[in-house]
Parts: sequence; C-alpha cells; structure tokens
Amino acid sequence: MRKDRWRLRTGILLMFVMVILMPAATLIIWVFTERWSWPDLWPQTFSLRAVREITGRKGQLISLLGSSIFISVVVAFLSVGIGVMTARALVFYEFRGKRFFHFVSMLPFLVPATVFAMGIQVSFIKVGLNNSVMGVVIAHLIYSLPYAVRLLLEGTRAVGQTLEEQARVLGASSGKAFLKISFPLLVPVMLTGFSMAYVVSFSQYFLTLLIGGGKIKTFAIVMVPYLQSGNRNIASVYGGLFLGVTLIVFGVTERLAGKYSKKAGGEYYG
Amino acid sequence: MREKLVPYGLLLPQIIVTVIFLAGLITGITQSLGVIPALGLTEPTLKYYREVLSDTGILISIGYSLRIAVISSFMAAVIGVFLCALMVTGKKTGGGYMRAVQLPIIVPHVVVALFAVNLLSQNGIMARVGYWLGRLQDQQEFPLIIYDSFGWGVILAYLWKEIPFIIYFIISLMANINEKLGEAATNLGAGRWTVFFKVTLPLCKNNILSGSLIIFVFALGAYELPAILGATTPRALPVMAYIQYIHPDMQNRPFAMALNGIIILISLASAFIFFALMEKSSKRLKRRKGE
Repeated sequence: MRKDRWRLRTGILLMFVMVILMPAATLIIWVFTERWSWPDLWPQTFSLRAVREITGRKGQLISLLGSSIFISVVVAFLSVGIGVMTARALVFYEFRGKRFFHFVSMLPFLVPATVFAMGIQVSFIKVGLNNSVMGVVIAHLIYSLPYAVRLLLEGTRAVGQTLEEQARVLGASSGKAFLKISFPLLVPVMLTGFSMAYVVSFSQYFLTLLIGGGKIKTFAIVMVPYLQSGNRNIASVYGGLFLGVTLIVFGVTERLAGKYSKKAGGEYYG
Repeated sequence: MREKLVPYGLLLPQIIVTVIFLAGLITGITQSLGVIPALGLTEPTLKYYREVLSDTGILISIGYSLRIAVISSFMAAVIGVFLCALMVTGKKTGGGYMRAVQLPIIVPHVVVALFAVNLLSQNGIMARVGYWLGRLQDQQEFPLIIYDSFGWGVILAYLWKEIPFIIYFIISLMANINEKLGEAATNLGAGRWTVFFKVTLPLCKNNILSGSLIIFVFALGAYELPAILGATTPRALPVMAYIQYIHPDMQNRPFAMALNGIIILISLASAFIFFALMEKSSKRLKRRKGE
C-alpha cells in the first residue's frame, strides 16, 4: 500500500521531468537536422549545415555573443548593486514613505514591459537613448531589478543587523562593518540575484526590439525572424547557443555561491 | 539629522530607476487620454477608451488575453502546488528534480515558442506520435493547438514555463514549514495530506498568491508568445497595441495607449483582488494564533 503510493509519486514526478526535458531534446535534434518530413519520428538526414551557416559568419556571431552577454551582465551587476542598497534601506530603517518605496520598487511586476516600452520610447528618442546599448540596459534594468530586490530583501532580513551592530560597538565604521560582516554573508544571495537578473535581461525580446530599434542585436532579436519564417534548424542553433550561455552563467554563479557559503561557514541561501 | 537621510541615500539609485519607470507609465497613460502635445492634441478625453471598448474585435481580444492569463496562472498555481507538495512530502527537494525545475525558469520565452512549434504543431512530434499510434492518417487531422483561436498553444507554453516558476517560488518555504510544523502535527496524529491542507497550504497561501499574480500580469501583457504562437484573429491585447503603435498614422497612437491602459487597469484590478485575498488569509492566520 505504502509502496504503491511511493510508486505513484515517483511516477508523477518522473513524468513531470520528462515533460520538461523533452522539448529541450527536440531542440538538440533540430540543430543537426537537414530533412525531417512527415510522418517520421526521427529525421531522415542529418547535417551540420545550420551550425556551419552560423559559425561561418564568425564576426557576426562574436559581436552578437558580445553584445548580448555584455548588456545582460551590466544589467545584472547594476541590479545586484542597487538591490543591496534598496534592501538595506527597506529592511533596517524606518522612514517616511517606506511603504511607498517598497511598493514602487515592486511595481514593474504589475505593469507589463510592453506597456512601459511603448510609453517610454518617445522620451528615450528625445534624449538620444533609443537605439543605444545604454537605453537597452536601462530598460532591462527596470524589469530585472525587482527580482533582485525581492531576493535581497529576504537575504538582508535573514542576515539581520545584530552582528554589524556588534562590530560598530567595537569601534568599526559603518562602512567597514558592512563590508566585513554583512557583505560576505550576503554574497550567496547576491549571486542568486545576479543570475536571476541576468536571465530576465537575456530573455527580453519586446523591450530590446522597441528600445534597441532592431539595431541592438541580442539572441532573442536575431532568433525570432528565423522562428517566424519557419527556419527551424537555424532558430534551434541560436536557441541552443542562447541556452548554453545561460547555463554557463548559472553554473558559474552557483559554483561561486557554493564555494563562498562553505568558506563563510554559513548556510547556502537558495 | 544625518542619520535620517541615510535610507534616502541608499534608495537614491532605486529612485532614479523608479522615476524612469514611472515616466514611461505616465506618458502612456496621458497619451491614452488623448494628450499628445506634439500632435496638437492637448484636451484630455476618454474618447479613445470609448472607441476601443465599443469595438467587438477588441472586446474579443480582451477576452482572449484574459482567458490566457486566467487559465495559465490558475493552472500553473494548482499544478505547481500539487507537484511541489509531492516533492516536499517525498523529500525530493534536492538534486536532479530541482535541476529539472530550474531549467524552464532560465529558458527564454522565445525559445519556449520554438519548443511549442517543435512539439505541438501539425507537423510536430505529438502529431507524428499520433500518426504512429494510428490515431490519425493526415497531419491536418491533428487538432490545431498552436495558432488556434482559443489560445491553447500559448497557454501550454506558459504552463511549461510557469509551473516550475511556482514550484521554485514556494518550495523552500513549503519545505521549511513542512519540516517544522508538519512533524508536530503528524506527531499529534494528523495524516500527511491533512497536515498539508490544514497547516502547510494556509501558511504558503500568500506566496502562492503573489507568484500567481506575477504570472497573471505577465501572461496578460507579454508580447512574445501570443505574437509567435497566437492566431491572426483574435490577437492578444499587447499584440494589438503594438500594431496600432507602429501604425504610420500617428493619430493611431492614442488607440495603442488606450489598449495599454486597459492592460494596466486589468492588472491593477487583479492586483487589488490578490492583495485583498492575501490580507484576508493573513488576518485569518492571526486570528487563529490569537485563539
């Protein structure tokens, strides 16, 4: 009886994992597919044509990788930096307008990026931010930041203030107390926030399209036309690269977080 | 006095970001009220909202977008909580399962669209499996799941991404509660599922609600999936708004903004409902504690 239940649970969860993994598997197959016509379950011919077509234009690919990753890394850094400050203010201080600031920092969750993008574009054009990397970074930042703030609020609350206060009683300046005490304890959460903010930025299509004006190329911008024109193997190669880069970023931050929390002796906050 | 200014100093970069965000939001709203000085429009009016709301095509679009947002956020919450409970009570919160849950969170929506085409189109894997099982002879017999007028393709694509999002959003809290309070309740003789429904679920309710709200607003206002996987009619609200927005005739701009205004109104109304629900459940919890 108990065993049956255990089997049922495992069965459901394994099915769930299958449903998650299967689409990713089709992506990998499509990268190498040349011909896969109805109704076969497996492609008739494989080739490296799509991969070659993309790696053949080396300069283009490198600049695409460069600009995509650059934009999202900058956005992620800014999100974490601003997030740490905002979280500190909202967790440790009582001040006028605290609830308001908390609310507006989460407001982008309630206003779709499409609405914001169409509203701000005219102003961005006026001040010369449209079609620029800077403009895209700012636009992405607005939508990545709330994720980082949410995580850092929890992290800051968990770390608390008592240790820092003790250091201050012992004569440390407030800056030093933060850097030596709270900062190391916050690093794992900061890394989680970093990867979250990175992913949110890396995935933006509409914001990049509108604010970047098609001139600022990211993976999403380059991939969608192939997808819409039914060029599935090229789209899959871009999609695969897209995922590969994200997985690497996630892997690296997670490794760092693991190392760091071991060193600090704290619990991994995830 | 200086001490009092510290929090504002810390908030300064956040405030700059927020001001830019609000600038975009407010510009959109004023334009939706027909105020665009550059075009010589200065008189605020509700004309554009009235016109938009009296257009049957647009009403159908509103229904389409709402349907996608309601079904995908509701089903993501229910299925996500169920799977999360299975993981938590089976102590499968680490390792491989968690890796699998993280995958859809990092997959961008445009790649999810590609997945949906690979699997669900009339030429996709599912249709082919149907053929091999002898359930259909021709690909046209496979039901139109993507590019359909109901929005199933878009909904399924969202679910693939958002069920794991809900799990990720609540699992650490749920595991904590289940470990601490769940054991106490089990010791007092409650069954596992009773513990789950009476103890764990009520304590997770606010987190589940805020996760669902994020999904709801996202599905209501996102462009990618309905633009790639949706039908030509009806179109989703954000897709409609974008079409009006890039219309060469600038006089169409206020219509785009009115459509955006409708998205905001629905988002805010739903946020209001969600917050009311959260308030209610925290009050009930407090009352219980007081007893």
